[in-house]
Amino acid sequence: MIEEPYRWIEAIANRREYIEDQLRLGSPVVALNYAEGLLLLTVSRETRKVFEVYDRVAFAALGHPADIERMRLVAIDLAHIEGFNRAVADVSLRRLVNFGMSPALKTAFEQVFGAPFIVRILLAELGDQPEQDSIVKLDYDGSFAQSEIESKEPFHVLAGTGEAQTAMLDYLVEHDSNPRRALNDALKLAAKTWAVGMDMAEHGQTKEGEEAEKREIEPEKVLKEYLKARHVEAAVLERRRPATMKFRLLDDKEVRSALKDL
Amino acid sequence: MDHPQPIPQFLHDGDFLGALKAHGYEVAPRLMEAAAKFQHEMGSGSIATEGTTVLAVKYKDGVLVAGDRRATAGNLVMYERAEKLINIDERSILAIAGVPAVAFEMARVLEHSFKYYQRSQLQEMSTAGKVRSLSKLLKENLPLTLQGVGMVVPIFATYETADGKDGEGKVYFYDALGAQFEGVDYAASGSGSLAVRSVLHYLNTWGGKPLAKFNESEIIVTALRVLDTAADSDTATSGYNPKSDIFPIVRVITAEGVREIPDSDLARVYRSEV
Repeated sequence: MIEEPYRWIEAIANRREYIEDQLRLGSPVVALNYAEGLLLLTVSRETRKVFEVYDRVAFAALGHPADIERMRLVAIDLAHIEGFNRAVADVSLRRLVNFGMSPALKTAFEQVFGAPFIVRILLAELGDQPEQDSIVKLDYDGSFAQSEIESKEPFHVLAGTGEAQTAMLDYLVEHDSNPRRALNDALKLAAKTWAVGMDMAEHGQTKEGEEAEKREIEPEKVLKEYLKARHVEAAVLERRRPATMKFRLLDDKEVRSALKDL
Repeated sequence: MDHPQPIPQFLHDGDFLGALKAHGYEVAPRLMEAAAKFQHEMGSGSIATEGTTVLAVKYKDGVLVAGDRRATAGNLVMYERAEKLINIDERSILAIAGVPAVAFEMARVLEHSFKYYQRSQLQEMSTAGKVRSLSKLLKENLPLTLQGVGMVVPIFATYETADGKDGEGKVYFYDALGAQFEGVDYAASGSGSLAVRSVLHYLNTWGGKPLAKFNESEIIVTALRVLDTAADSDTATSGYNPKSDIFPIVRVITAEGVREIPDSDLARVYRSEV
């Protein structure tokens, strides 16, 4: 048993360092809004990373595949039990995260004799109106941050390192001229942002005391390199879809035709 | 620690009813208590509203499912706009005859079950699995059924697609205890079902061409005529009521999924063919 509080803090700090190290080379995820809804994109090898949770809720993650799977199933369970017991409209991302997923992650993280979840999660919810759309980033220690869709940041990212995340967000701020963009433009922007993040995570490793150097890269070229061994995995939550279920996984053809003139 | 702990198994089999039960949900007992209490307070007379006459028939492009709109409680007409066809997913319809309270709850569980399975297991449940899910729910309802309180006799209609081959419509009907039967050409359930089945049998056997070869307009005409016939001999089935302009609900399931036949089309058919 850990008797001294100091030992607990030390254990937590070690745990955090361990997890951050495990997450470092994870493939980033980009979530953007576009004219008809929300887009989630990543470039993966074999394992799937973008999933449907409920009628209007999508899930993407970075990290250990088994932990991603468990958190995904937790989200699906919570959403469906709530949707059944009350109504589809009562399932909200805020409650899923605040009352369900975040406490579970925090508890797992702080119980130093149990295993933590090695995950970083992005959840997107399509509201009735664009102002009500929501993108939330949920971390392994239970902390969550929401993006302000209609104001400055109609996007959010997951990245393996802090520097990669900053690089991706900076890139989006610089190139995000039109939050009402068409799907093809959103796909292009998301794919290029992904490339910025992946490159930064792989090559931008800082040593103690050094500043991460700003790498000048051409996202298109980097993306093409990665696409030789990987494929784009993208899904949308579309407002104008007639069915109540708004999630749609984009097929290869659609993505390739959007990215062909990059 | 003397010896290593076994690794906990995280087994997720996409079973929604199991997940619900783990959260304290029980299908039958809640209704049973309520029903017993209601019966006690109301004394005589049927306490449960009953829904009547639904049918499903296979035709050239898939399956047509239709239901009349009347819900009765004993001799009282409870409701004239009852919706007895419930879309379970994009290609499946549950048609219910029997006690709506229980049937709607089952439909709800069923609908959520399919979505839950597909999202958690990342593949759609097979048609056989779907048919069996409904059977399991009916068996869960056994206590109520045996009490004579909550009987549900549904029809499950779906369009089954197979890789590479043309899909086909499928019709399954159940008895009150949950045994499932596949209807080769059609199925009907409810108080008017005998009339419906008799007419469909006659048409299918001696009517010129088998129902499976009827096109969409022909099968719609047939369905409306057959419901009208049932209404003629069964007070619990409503035919078309010109005063109130309430039509039966008619939907078709084809390769493109479920589609409702709008009232305007039904009105036209009634004027010319029925």
